[in-house]
Amino acid sequence: MAGGGGSIESGEPEFQIAPMIDVLLVLLIFFISITSMEVLRIDQDIALPVAEDALRAQKERGEVILNVRYNETTRKARFNINADARPIEASDVLITELTKAVAQAQTSIKAGWNQNVRLVIRADKTTPSFEISRAMNAGAEAGISDIAFSAASREDSPVP
Amino acid sequence: MKSVIDDDTPNLGFQIAPMIDVVFVIMLFFMVMAGSVKVEQHLISNLPGSVESDSVDFVDETIINIDEDGEISLNDEPMDSPTSKRMTNLKGSLVRLKENAVSSGNKMVVTIVSDPQASYDRVVDALNALSAARITDVTFTVSEEE
Repeated sequence: MAGGGGSIESGEPEFQIAPMIDVLLVLLIFFISITSMEVLRIDQDIALPVAEDALRAQKERGEVILNVRYNETTRKARFNINADARPIEASDVLITELTKAVAQAQTSIKAGWNQNVRLVIRADKTTPSFEISRAMNAGAEAGISDIAFSAASREDSPVP
Repeated sequence: MKSVIDDDTPNLGFQIAPMIDVVFVIMLFFMVMAGSVKVEQHLISNLPGSVESDSVDFVDETIINIDEDGEISLNDEPMDSPTSKRMTNLKGSLVRLKENAVSSGNKMVVTIVSDPQASYDRVVDALNALSAARITDVTFTVSEEE
């Protein structure tokens, strides 16, 4: 970035505005990127439970994300694979779709990555355990043995 | 910040001072936002499977039960209250069991047996306690409905 600088012809160093703007812009880009990146990864429709001692999500591996939305009035869970908009309810359809998603995830595994495809279950905190069990059984039928349960690092901030 | 405006020269050119002000405000906003960002984390579990092995490993098997009302018991001994999120008793007991298993050279395996109606929130609380105790061999299962 050019311009805005002072001179040292008089012998006294002046305040240099150009490097300060450069540093400011770099810091700004840094904070924008980390904020937007983390926010984009979270699906706001699902109220995840909180687990402060959980591990950070590993990125260098093939994974299939299974969203589980639980409707407390109808007492039914709906599954979405990899943020696909089509909701799935029946177990046999879920197995078929998961098998397809696993095959797709295996093709996207890069050299040096973990070769096992992981099933990431992202469920509403009110979901009953048997629905989680149904998701795990479907994962097992689709050939996945490595399962991760998704949780948030902290509670939602209270709305002022 | 002030700037002197000369009436004879209406073209002010590029003003650096307001730009820095705006950049500072935007940066402060994103700095505050970065501090309150909610990150997604993972609790790892493996499905039980069969592995061929020549050696026989001794394992310390521990069972964590989760009732429908959220009460968690470790080897049939109730731990903490059903509403407790911190699970201090469970974490402490798991850490001690892990230390015993390590000192005796055994592998510690934990099975979570949950009631079908127990909430996923409570399952995650139990998994979180296991993660805090650095226990990695965890299996999750749901008890049969009566």
